[in-house]
Amino acid sequence: MFQLTELQHDALIEIFNLGVGQAAAAMSRIVGDEVTMSVPMISFQSRAEVARTLGSDEGRRICAITQHFQGAFSTEAFLMFPEEKSLEIVRLMVGQSLSLEELSEMEQEAMSEIGNIILNCCMGAFANAAGKELQGSLPTYHVGTGDNILGVSGKEWDGVVLTLKIDFNIERHHIYGYVAFLLDMPALNDLQRYIDAYLAKLMG
Amino acid sequence: MQLSLLQGVLKAVRAGIIVFDAEQRIVLWNQWMEQHSSFPADAILGKTFGEIFPDMVDGRTHVALRAALQNNFASLLSQTLNKAPFPLFANAGDAAAGIRMQQAVHVMPLEVESLPRHCLVQIGDVSMAVAREKKLRELAVELESQTLVDGLTGIANRRRFDQHLDDEFRRAKRNASPLSLIMIDVDYFKDYNDNYGHQHGDECLARIAGALCGVLHRPRDLAARYGGEEFTVVLPDTNEDGALQIAEAMRAEVESLKIEHAYSGVAGCVTISLGVSTLIPELAAKTGSLIHAADRALYQAKRTGRNCVVVYTDSKN
Repeated sequence: MFQLTELQHDALIEIFNLGVGQAAAAMSRIVGDEVTMSVPMISFQSRAEVARTLGSDEGRRICAITQHFQGAFSTEAFLMFPEEKSLEIVRLMVGQSLSLEELSEMEQEAMSEIGNIILNCCMGAFANAAGKELQGSLPTYHVGTGDNILGVSGKEWDGVVLTLKIDFNIERHHIYGYVAFLLDMPALNDLQRYIDAYLAKLMG
Repeated sequence: MQLSLLQGVLKAVRAGIIVFDAEQRIVLWNQWMEQHSSFPADAILGKTFGEIFPDMVDGRTHVALRAALQNNFASLLSQTLNKAPFPLFANAGDAAAGIRMQQAVHVMPLEVESLPRHCLVQIGDVSMAVAREKKLRELAVELESQTLVDGLTGIANRRRFDQHLDDEFRRAKRNASPLSLIMIDVDYFKDYNDNYGHQHGDECLARIAGALCGVLHRPRDLAARYGGEEFTVVLPDTNEDGALQIAEAMRAEVESLKIEHAYSGVAGCVTISLGVSTLIPELAAKTGSLIHAADRALYQAKRTGRNCVVVYTDSKN
């Protein structure tokens, strides 16, 4: 599987931590309480591997918010949680709930907004570091297995998935989720080039 | 032709549409916005976001506007997390009362030919959906409380009792600990109802329920309405002696309520009869045997004069 050099890897983690830091600040303002977020690790995996991590083999349902980004490079971005975690996050953020097994229409929209904030901040931090522009779409909300959502059973695809594990702390509750970017070969090459340019700039 | 068509659409569409230029100046403000805000387009075109919405500067909407203009990112502002960011009102009455319309807001970058990037803000009225979900939430809460709590007395209902007894029965089996059950019947309750009326009958049951609960102090003890004028009490980790003491305390407590009952065959006030059974459940034991034994003891208590407690003893002994 695709690998970054240690330097590239560290730079990317730093950029994404900057991004989720901004997202956490935005979410703190919404809930009026401290929300913290960090990215402890990133990895490159195949779609099937990511789906397996998300419990696809056991038929576990996840909740995903997706956005399309294009420009400097093209990618499909996902924020994913096990379904019950998304209920927990919305309940913590909203403070009330229908106590149904699924999110209501309005709660789904709230979840979409949370995804929108996080994905925009991650990609914003990256675009900023790369000095390039990315165009982001509105978020859409999905529920299904990791297989369904990542389109594993779809057509042949030679790309990799860049996954970020995200740790959330909301009102002393600890929740983790994943952000994933689908990257085909050209996107992967672009990504690597931008990181190198960023590193070169840092080194002066 | 094309232009007048587009203008017609902007005028007719049932959503708020605002377009900001690269300097955050308003360049489009559709009729829906005029209708639901206090601003006609003439008064507002050319003004900046900060001039028109001073309260919203650096707020979530403003941040989203900047993200669209500077970073080319679209944002969604949900009603749930943002309530009503813009000062928009369904009608003049709401405007006077300061009740804002519930909003879902989409903020999107907009490419305009030969000009720097603009930003489109779309506002939808989601008041109906919010009201519907509020109603649904209320119903869900009501349903939840209805299903486990007895509507008349406010204590646990039959369903809750069944669940609790099952749980405690399993626990007692695992720990080989004693589990006691008390079945309770209000003496001459039919005569009470017939003479004092159902409304007083209901009040009487509610007071008895309160008295029964007052005797219990441990978190896993549970008093429930079993049906009609019958109550039941689950006492985990309680042997026969302990259960007898609690049953006797309950009998005395109800008697001390001194609810007048001139038609009682046993006293001048409302009283109860109680049957107690205790079991250390074996592997094959079922909750039914415990209930059956307490029922038998209660039957015995009624036969032996009412307003008393009888402990079930296996007839083989």
